[in-house]
Amino acid sequence: MHWFESQILTLYKLAEAYNFSKIQEGNDVLNISEQGRQKRSEFIEAVQALVNRVIHSPGVTACTAYHEGLILAQSGKTPDIDALGAMIQESIRVAQKGEAILHLGKIQQIVIVGDLNKIAMITIGPIILCVLSPKHTNLALSLSQYNG
Amino acid sequence: MSIIKSIENRKSHSGEIDSILRNLMSLQGVSAAAIVDSDGLVTHIHRDFEVNTDALGASVQIVFGAASKAAKHVGHNLANIVICENTEGFVLLAPIESGFMLALVTEREALLGRIRFELKETIPVLKKLFLSFL
Repeated sequence: MHWFESQILTLYKLAEAYNFSKIQEGNDVLNISEQGRQKRSEFIEAVQALVNRVIHSPGVTACTAYHEGLILAQSGKTPDIDALGAMIQESIRVAQKGEAILHLGKIQQIVIVGDLNKIAMITIGPIILCVLSPKHTNLALSLSQYNG
Repeated sequence: MSIIKSIENRKSHSGEIDSILRNLMSLQGVSAAAIVDSDGLVTHIHRDFEVNTDALGASVQIVFGAASKAAKHVGHNLANIVICENTEGFVLLAPIESGFMLALVTEREALLGRIRFELKETIPVLKKLFLSFL
């Protein structure tokens, strides 16, 4: 497992722990509130940290994270951050339709390649992580090692 | 059944509300987080700039009231979050319980998705807190 894969796996685990904290029921509002806040904070801070690190990989021009089409974390240069958010949300929506029709299972990744640049979208719990790079960049290779 | 709650209970709930507001203030670009009651009075506030709390409280209720009416007019039922995008930042409003509202004031560089995400997660907790001591 390379560097980026291990980071994504960590985020999956944090997202799961955060999700679990949300479904815990009970009368102890104060403790549930505190625990939920802590788990959420751990997850989001890990997302922000990864976004800040991915930008150091060769060829990566920007890394962003979105929640329901709105920007949550960013590093690097993105031409239009709001337009990208809208496009990501739409791409995920279309892919999710395919998920049911084509029996793909839960959507994990979408890659859109243009003749200049490409964008990889990775779903992590409620968040979509996006990595932007020029078309010719080998993202798998580029993200396999941390160059921070 | 008595509706009188112990002062310790209220204190711990008030402390938790303060923790929640402090947590919201720690988000990038958030410059004020306040709880406003149904009369437009600010009951809790954390801020890092001078703000007229009376004006803030009154405008929160007016803006949310107008947005709620607009939502009803277009058949959207209830307004959950109202986002005002201004030249220098955003104001986000969300109803809690019994007319209480959460108001967040942010600067332009605030990450809207991050704040909205936190707001959506925080509101159910605040609802529970308010339900248990109102």
